[in-house]
Amino acid sequence: KNLKCVTHNLRKMICTWDISSKGRHGQNDFCYTTSDLPSPVCFKTKEKRVEIPVPDSSSIMTITTNSIAGTAFATKEFEIHKKDISFAPLTPRILSLTPDFPTSTLNLKWSDNGSVFPYGLDAFWQIQILRKEAMEKVTQVTYYSKLTHEDVTLSWNWTSDMPLECTSHYVKIRCYINVTQFVGPKDWSDWSPVEEVPGKDTEPNASGVFPQDTVVAVGSNVTICCVHEEGQQIERMTYGSEVYPMIHLSSRSSAIRVLNTSASDTSGTNIVCRLSEYMWDGTVLFVGYAPDIPEDLICETSNFLIIRCTWKPGRPSGLYGKRRTKYSLFERISGKNVSCEVNEMNRERVCGFPVLANQKTYHFTLGVSNPIGQTESSLLVDLTQRVHPKIPEKLTVSGNSSTSVRLHWFINGSFAEIRLLCQIEISSGHSEQKMHNVSMPGGKFSIYTAQLSTLHPYTKYQFRVRCSAADHFWRWSDWSRIEEHTTLEA
Amino acid sequence: MAAADSPSATLRRHDLCSRGIRLAGKMRSDVVDLLDTYVERQGLDASASVAAVEGVPAAAVEHWDEQTGTQRLLENLAAYRAFRTLLAQMLEEQQEQVGEADTALGRALAAVLLQVSAFAYHLEELLRLESRGPPSEEAVGSPSPPHLGLFERKMRGLGVLRELAQWAVRSARDLRQLTKPSPGSSSAPSPADSP
Repeated sequence: KNLKCVTHNLRKMICTWDISSKGRHGQNDFCYTTSDLPSPVCFKTKEKRVEIPVPDSSSIMTITTNSIAGTAFATKEFEIHKKDISFAPLTPRILSLTPDFPTSTLNLKWSDNGSVFPYGLDAFWQIQILRKEAMEKVTQVTYYSKLTHEDVTLSWNWTSDMPLECTSHYVKIRCYINVTQFVGPKDWSDWSPVEEVPGKDTEPNASGVFPQDTVVAVGSNVTICCVHEEGQQIERMTYGSEVYPMIHLSSRSSAIRVLNTSASDTSGTNIVCRLSEYMWDGTVLFVGYAPDIPEDLICETSNFLIIRCTWKPGRPSGLYGKRRTKYSLFERISGKNVSCEVNEMNRERVCGFPVLANQKTYHFTLGVSNPIGQTESSLLVDLTQRVHPKIPEKLTVSGNSSTSVRLHWFINGSFAEIRLLCQIEISSGHSEQKMHNVSMPGGKFSIYTAQLSTLHPYTKYQFRVRCSAADHFWRWSDWSRIEEHTTLEA
Repeated sequence: MAAADSPSATLRRHDLCSRGIRLAGKMRSDVVDLLDTYVERQGLDASASVAAVEGVPAAAVEHWDEQTGTQRLLENLAAYRAFRTLLAQMLEEQQEQVGEADTALGRALAAVLLQVSAFAYHLEELLRLESRGPPSEEAVGSPSPPHLGLFERKMRGLGVLRELAQWAVRSARDLRQLTKPSPGSSSAPSPADSP
């Protein structure tokens, strides 16, 4: 009685049955026939289980139970229709379960055993994560894939809300295949055996507070655990100066859960696990912000030797030292990359990039990253349109006439590729301040001159000068130092 | 102590001891200030107990009064050489971990490191007067930093500074002991002040 047939691969089925009478039995004679078999197929079996082909429509089975002496004492005939045969895939085979401790991530790989099934069937995989000594279920997810009539290795990642070192994590998997043309009942496979990633609390003499010295974003919920040796007792666990309730994980591991963490101090937030007065362990948590997208990225040159990029960093990350936000300047056309030395304490952010021979246009990408995140900002710039000369130096005024003078000044830089526009401010005690503009070809670390006439005789004048690019104005240089000169008497 | 000293050597040693006592006093008050800053900036519990830190010479000593002057100087020198290395490590770690963000603690650490170095040099001078000279630096050997987590390093730093504060007290006592006339030598004026 209770004859049941189940197939795992749609081709063969396993039939099992019970025998109602008590007492010991000998072998069974098993025969089956289907519409496309010329004659019944018979064989003996000790088991109450046989594996025979799945029939196209139905199959008639005759089971004869014999006594120990071999005499038949019961015969039963069954007709099994296709709709009576149930289908359940074979238990999935986990290929590997690999922990990545720094990211608290488990990577599960398993075979989908697709070669057994026709192409294109939908497969659903239920994956269960369990944890702690008591193997409590943490989560269960359903993963979907399509079978391709080949054995494909599937891969799935799961990030724990707790460091994997804290306690052992276990994974098991089962699957369901939607064989649309199969008329019988369809069921999930059995669960696979559990795969384990042992925690530090199973390692002899291992101890520590985890995660060790990690960085998280402000607002994160963090679980921090303390693993100690057998027999030890945790007195308390503090986060910063606050004592937190402990969560029991195992006899050698307890955790605290900190919600919505706020930015830590410069040296990080200490988490202390106190076992006794002189026995403690601890870790440091750095809570900060991912970098903001840099704003107002500006790149200019003052001398056609170095391009100076500046930007506004946005909100401070709250991370310092080796965890600070780092900047690099990548120029797409030349492929050149420069890392920027930035002092996180001063507000202005500056990075220098060499002017490249025969390159006028620069496509910059300012890359910004810290342990929490990264971002970037880009800028396309024609250097000749971003000239911001340095302050004119060594301004001198000469003249041996009563109405004209000649000015000379030096500008540090190589401006041979552009024309310069310089503005001379002329002031004297009793007449209105005048501006005189003069443009000239740029030079290489040159001295520039300008002639001023229509001045008043025997008059004391103050002159100063500033310059910029003539063709594509960008910015004036700062004003030079003031130089005084008195014109000759008429 | 060495055979009967010449008057000039006695005066020289006395002068070095007096200056050493003052240096130890200044060092102690600076280390105490540094300890407060350190505890606050590292987010530590000021009452936390720190067991003996490996590589940090203990200031407490048994049979202190039975020690010879040379023993005192040698032990002091070994301690301050070790502290010089330990403080240099702490300064390096401070720069690596916090960079420009906490220059106050960095400057305070550097200032104490300078004093420790000066004091070590001072002890070497005193040993040279013993005409035996200080042991070479390699002989002492510097404790390489074990791989510790950040929190352990913070606590280790606390242990180092606490022990250094104790040593400053002991050094002043040791130097004061050196200024006392040993039997048979001429009596020397006791040092003008003490920390």
